[in-house]
Amino acid sequence: MIKEKWLDLVIQNPMLIEITRFRRRYTSASATSSMNGVVVLLCIICYATLLLVVIQNRTSISPIVMIFAQTAFLTVLAPMLLYGSISGERERRSWDLLLVAPITKPQIVVGKFMGAMAALGVAVILFQVPIEIAATSYDRSHWQSVLVADLVSVTFLMCVCALTILFSARVKRSLMALGATLGSLVTILIVFPALVGLGQSGPATDAAFFLHPFVVLSRIGDRDDAISRNGAGTVGPGTSQPDFPSNVPAPWWGWPQTLTYLGLTIVLLAWASNTLNFAENEVKFLPQGHKDA
Amino acid sequence: MLEVKNLRKEYAGLTAVQGISFNLHPGDIFGFIGSNGAGKTTTIRMIATLLEPTAGTAILNGADIRRDTMEVRRMIGYMPDFFGLYDDVKVWEYLDFFAAIYRVPTKQRGEVIDSVLELTNLTIKKDAFVQSLSRGMQQRLCLARCLVHDPTLLLLDEPASGLDPRARAELKELIAELGRMGKIVIVSSHILPELADFCNTVGIIERGELLAFGPVSKIVTEMQPHRVLAVQVLGAAADFVGPIADMPNVLSAVAVGEGDLRVEFSGDLEAQADFLAKLVGKGMRVATFREDSADLEDVFLKLTTGALN
Ligand SMILES: Nc1ncnc2c1ncn2[C@@H]1O[C@H](COP(=O)(O)OP(=O)(O)OP(=O)(O)O)[C@@H](O)[C@H]1O
Ligand SMILES: [Mg+2]
Repeated sequence: MIKEKWLDLVIQNPMLIEITRFRRRYTSASATSSMNGVVVLLCIICYATLLLVVIQNRTSISPIVMIFAQTAFLTVLAPMLLYGSISGERERRSWDLLLVAPITKPQIVVGKFMGAMAALGVAVILFQVPIEIAATSYDRSHWQSVLVADLVSVTFLMCVCALTILFSARVKRSLMALGATLGSLVTILIVFPALVGLGQSGPATDAAFFLHPFVVLSRIGDRDDAISRNGAGTVGPGTSQPDFPSNVPAPWWGWPQTLTYLGLTIVLLAWASNTLNFAENEVKFLPQGHKDA
Repeated sequence: MLEVKNLRKEYAGLTAVQGISFNLHPGDIFGFIGSNGAGKTTTIRMIATLLEPTAGTAILNGADIRRDTMEVRRMIGYMPDFFGLYDDVKVWEYLDFFAAIYRVPTKQRGEVIDSVLELTNLTIKKDAFVQSLSRGMQQRLCLARCLVHDPTLLLLDEPASGLDPRARAELKELIAELGRMGKIVIVSSHILPELADFCNTVGIIERGELLAFGPVSKIVTEMQPHRVLAVQVLGAAADFVGPIADMPNVLSAVAVGEGDLRVEFSGDLEAQADFLAKLVGKGMRVATFREDSADLEDVFLKLTTGALN
């Protein structure tokens, strides 16, 4: 069953042509004159600056901090890539053309998702350069931690992509999808933690932020620091963890979140394609001003 | 072969299509005619598997639009009454995208794209951006997109709207060519004369009902079971009305203007020739004698206003 789904949605999914479409959109000749061109140029400038900063301060920048930066940057970028993925097709009215094609709605959703993941994948690979530079020069880093932190980062980004597709499938206008996605990300990642008081009451509230990617990354960094100071045995399960500033045991930071994010991604994608099932032909999903609206 | 069986669509409080049925065969070009809101788009979208029918179904080469949806989708090319183009891609990239979605093998795609561009006369625009095309070219690109997977049934919803006369003529030629290739083509329009000359079958829909279906000539005869003969005579036409009205097969005769008569005639061509001989025999000086072929526009208006009243 799972193998069939995998074949249907990933291996033999004709919508994977979305990957090519993403590539063409950002590399085609007109890119320099359009909005996309500006985005690409900005990214290149940011990337070059980042590389320079890392190379100059390579002994004092932890790779975890770089992964932190990667997560923050791509969390904003992912919704930009995807907010129009479905509502935009509806606005352009190219949506019907996908619906009459011999593909299923889950295939469409997965195709859009993979397209964006391919684009983000390129960004993640680019980020690996500064991360590796930092990892090799920073003395308190451990490659397992870098790997786990990277996985947390990537799976969280998958969640963000799936969330954006879900919003894009549920609202009328693509700008509304962008607003809703960024709004909910800001709420989850910044407003909610500020209200609950992250940082004020310290480690005690950590359990509440078990799934907060930036908290997870900080704890992975803290764990590295603790290991460097006291040796590997000190932060294992059952130890007193004198230097680990959290009430959640150190091994709980990393893998559990990665798996949760993966599960959440699948749930969100399934939800998005179910939304399409009932949204088909429904007048309320057509943009205002449209003749059938 | 396409069999449409009792296809019906109800929206809340409104029946858009009231159970229509018809059959089409390969090579048929079917003109689907109706005024605004008649139910053309609704019918086409149901056949295209975009709308679920309330009742009835359509069967395309054995595949049912409700049960074998994917199979039907592989066989149809649907061109909506709007473009739905992506604006940030080139013409060939756009076609490549849809060819991929229709599972045209990667190796063949280049060839397929070239041939549909050739067919729709867009070869020179292959590397142009879609948004730089004129309206007529975009329309042709939409048609090219419907053709990448070599569909059996083409559903073209008002393909001629917004085109200039020249582009219209080219489009008609292209559609006729598709018919010759053995495809079933359904073309919708508001205007019967626009379609009459290249469709071999027409259907007139009004308020969701198929009022007439068949070859254009058949529909015209159905609408006008009697011939109308226009006779121009030298002298006062009014004087001849009486004698003509008494002749066999003549249903009515009226004088229109100085020397023109309109005669409603029920006989066949044989009787029509005899009628002319009689006129001349009675000493009428007949200048012209012809059948007043029914104006398609009139037929259409007659049919549709009949439905509205
Ligand atoms: N989503 C919908 N909800 C409710 N009623 C609808 C919907 N779509 C169409 N209708 C109604 O169904 C009827 C038929 O519409 P349809 O679009 O099929 O007409 P049409 O023949 O294509 O007209 P036009 O020439 O204007 O394109 C109209 O009365 C329309 O108002
Ligand atoms: Mg219509």
